[in-house]
Amino acid sequence: MELLLLCLIPIAMAILVFAVEPIKFAGRLVAGAAWVQLAVTLALVHPVLFGWKESLRPAPEFQIDRLAAAFLVLTAVVIACALSHAHVFFLRELNGPHPPGRRHVHVIYACSLLFLVSMSAVYICDSLGYLWIAVEATTLLSAPLVYYSRTKNALEATWKYLIICSVGIAFALLGTIFIFAASQHGAIVGGSLRISDLCAVAPDLEYSLLRLGFIFCFLGYGTKAGMFPLHSWLPDAHSEAPAPGSAMLSGALLNCALFCIWRISQIVVASRHPLLSFDLNVLAGTATVVAAGLFLIRQHGLKRLWAYSSIENVGLMLVAIGLGSGPLFFLQAVNHSLAKVALFLLSGNVIQASGTKALGELTGIMKVAPVWGVLFAMSALAVTGVPPFGAFISEWLILARSVDCRLWWTAILLIVGLSLGFVAVCMHLGRILLGSPKPGVEPFRPLATSVIPSLLVLACLILGLTTSPRFFHVHWASNGFGM
Amino acid sequence: MNLTPYEMVGIGAAVAAILMVGSGHLRVNLTMYALQTVLIAVETGLYAYSKHEDHFYFVAAAIFLVKAYGVPRFLSWIIKHIEVRSDPGTVLPTPLVMHLSIILFGLSYLLACQLPAPGGHVLVLAGASAAISLVFTGLLMMLTRRIALSQIIGFLTMENGIYLFALTQTEGMPMMVEMGILLDVLGGVMIAGLLAFKIKKSFEHIDVTQLTRLRD
Amino acid sequence: MKIIVTSVLFVLCIFWLPLVTVGIIRKTKARLQGRIGASVLQPFYDFVKLWKKGETVCETVSWMFRSSVAINASAMLVLSVFVPWLSFKPVVAGDDLFLVLYLFALMRFFTILMALDPGTAFGAFGASREACLSMLVEPSLFISLAALGQSVHTSSLSAIFSFANTGHLAAVPIWFSVGVSLFLGSLVELSRMPIDDPTTHLELTMVHEAMLLENSGRNLLLAEFAHGLRLVVLYGLSVQCFLHVLVCVLPLTSLWLGVLSLGGIFLLGVLTALIESVSVKLQWKKAPEFIAYGLTMSLLAAVASLIEGVQL
Repeated sequence: MELLLLCLIPIAMAILVFAVEPIKFAGRLVAGAAWVQLAVTLALVHPVLFGWKESLRPAPEFQIDRLAAAFLVLTAVVIACALSHAHVFFLRELNGPHPPGRRHVHVIYACSLLFLVSMSAVYICDSLGYLWIAVEATTLLSAPLVYYSRTKNALEATWKYLIICSVGIAFALLGTIFIFAASQHGAIVGGSLRISDLCAVAPDLEYSLLRLGFIFCFLGYGTKAGMFPLHSWLPDAHSEAPAPGSAMLSGALLNCALFCIWRISQIVVASRHPLLSFDLNVLAGTATVVAAGLFLIRQHGLKRLWAYSSIENVGLMLVAIGLGSGPLFFLQAVNHSLAKVALFLLSGNVIQASGTKALGELTGIMKVAPVWGVLFAMSALAVTGVPPFGAFISEWLILARSVDCRLWWTAILLIVGLSLGFVAVCMHLGRILLGSPKPGVEPFRPLATSVIPSLLVLACLILGLTTSPRFFHVHWASNGFGM
Repeated sequence: MNLTPYEMVGIGAAVAAILMVGSGHLRVNLTMYALQTVLIAVETGLYAYSKHEDHFYFVAAAIFLVKAYGVPRFLSWIIKHIEVRSDPGTVLPTPLVMHLSIILFGLSYLLACQLPAPGGHVLVLAGASAAISLVFTGLLMMLTRRIALSQIIGFLTMENGIYLFALTQTEGMPMMVEMGILLDVLGGVMIAGLLAFKIKKSFEHIDVTQLTRLRD
Repeated sequence: MKIIVTSVLFVLCIFWLPLVTVGIIRKTKARLQGRIGASVLQPFYDFVKLWKKGETVCETVSWMFRSSVAINASAMLVLSVFVPWLSFKPVVAGDDLFLVLYLFALMRFFTILMALDPGTAFGAFGASREACLSMLVEPSLFISLAALGQSVHTSSLSAIFSFANTGHLAAVPIWFSVGVSLFLGSLVELSRMPIDDPTTHLELTMVHEAMLLENSGRNLLLAEFAHGLRLVVLYGLSVQCFLHVLVCVLPLTSLWLGVLSLGGIFLLGVLTALIESVSVKLQWKKAPEFIAYGLTMSLLAAVASLIEGVQL
């Protein structure tokens, strides 16, 4: 029943939207549906979210625990914001120099809603098999988002996205089978794919199979998350998708993939050798942060820049997962998602106004459109983790936690990677915002295009001001909340 | 070590995949892929027969219809329309890839020996090595081919290997999961096939090693 | 008593089987192409004709030219005694698989010398192609025989092909893939169709025929005979492999085995004719791809025999 409720609205709207011919109405309808979906999600999961209930079990193979509930809400927020802005974005596109076919926008709307369903499914699956199916479905449903502009570049990006992620996910399937086989060796008669069962009997799982399973799943879902060195599809896909699409990919899909890694890591943490998850996650996370920091320096596409910044954040979240702290993982995810969605949406505005993605040709936004400029600067600073914003707290906590765990090298490398990223982003940011503007760059509908980003930036600011680090220290001491 | 018919069928699938890799002709590749998938469907049927698990007959039938008949038909339709006959290959010459995949077949036997064996199962060692070899062969094919379609075929081969691994190493995955995986693979192939079509249309070629417009 | 009968039979086979098999191949091809064709016994008449003819030898050649043919023919006769290509072949001591492989290599070496000696361009063409092909095909012959040797832990060919320990299902894949590999290898070795067209008259594309261009009369007769004998020996070896597969499934008496060995050689001859009628000659560049399949089958056999450690 709850499951039906959760997927009814988006699926119905995805079909209905084709019947609504004017894009204007279709956009409003879809955005409205996304907000209603957020309300439904909240209504459904609030008992878990506020800790009144341990978990929800809507169906035998499904389960929503507190972290999953939090991520469900975050995903719904991201999609709702992106789709609300998409309404403005696509209207402008239709009047722009390269208008897309009308059906293309309908397809994008329908796919975004189905994409939301598949991502929600990732969070509520208790079975590793269903989890895999849901993740593969997110790839298939988001491929049309990347292919939106129908250009050669878009085609290339979509092909790479589809093939690299499919192969990665195929390895995750192999890993899932290994874990299933591990559960059949004495732990559970007939085997089980349920994460809750597997966690309960984790010490009895055949370790060599579990280890193989974990490594394959880690590589598979890591590919989907854009972990270094399997990240090559990510900048292409993010830069070719339309701005709301990039926002959804970066703000929601990456969390999905990371959540899968979190789920698998939980099983390993409960087993006899919990250090495996710790080692692998922290190592991969640190490498990702440093690599992304280096890649950030020499970028010449605006959206590729933010894509690499997403990869950097993925690295941080991997470290958080490795450190075994669910709340920290979520905090980093929420800070990154909100700021990055704002940033991608604003980049969409800037690109539409100036007609280019190349960093070298974007200058003087501050003079042309001061509202965008200020918001742009704020969200970029929020993403890189500058103090008043939420990302600062989460990054600080991750560093503190790794120092607590005596991971000196990790802490040092993280600081190096983050500082590199910060310097690179500031360097590019200065060039975009300051200087004399190019002729012909006209801002459009400054109010409508700034509402959603400003709300998101505000949310980041509030998160930064209200999150209390003490909360985490208390919970680490009691080892509670998702650990 | 005496080979039972079950093991013969599994190894037959792996050998079909190895022979598939040796040819640059897309039609030959597709036929060998279909043969290999039919063998996997037969293996599923034999499994259902020996274990008296009737729902696996449905899985076997679905594999036969979807993966051994539907997908090759769809891909051969695409081959007909994009007018590409053969794949020149990249990195390594095609015959060498075939020999390398045989060496990997031997290696997968050694890997399979390392796996803990589930008790009282009919097709353990041979099945596992055939499955791992299929995964290797598919991966090798994806790495050494230029044409988008051969990459799809390589991916499908890898997928077959993973399925065979599930069949031989575990006591039956839940049927819903099997069916969901089948559906996802079908969807993936459809989208990838259509994309190959579009690549041919807008780039005038279908060589994926030349897709290098997007770079840092 | 039995040994005398089989020995006599075997010696007779050495002399008439090559000619009849070549005749059968030609007749089948003719029929498939819609011609009546010469009689199956035509090679015998050619034999007699060549015997009677005089010989023209290029002035510039050295002693190597004529002695190569003699060396080849005698090496081939030794090979036909060593290689177990008929089930009733008497066992000869020293039939080591390495010896056999090197005798084949020796023949190739002298054939190439013979082709190079007169200094004609076409002969050199053929020789260079032959060298290239033999280099590609040798590993497959070697690996397939070695795979069989590994599985019975001996290098004696008569021990390997002795029909001992039959009725073992596990041996089927090994024997089968070795059989296929030997057949594919012999197509290349004998310069048959997908690699070389033996009936072509375009010297630029020929391999084997190009090397024989300068031979005539009895010299040519000897070379043709050695080639025919090589054909039946290689086909016979491949047939023996398939017979081992058959024996694993269904036990046969030695009389049946003898009949089937002969019948199998004829059958492969017909098959060759069929291949030559339906297929076209491969582009020279593509030849390695074809040869690779032979090597693949032999590698499969090797992996199978190594993995399973089967006692055949």
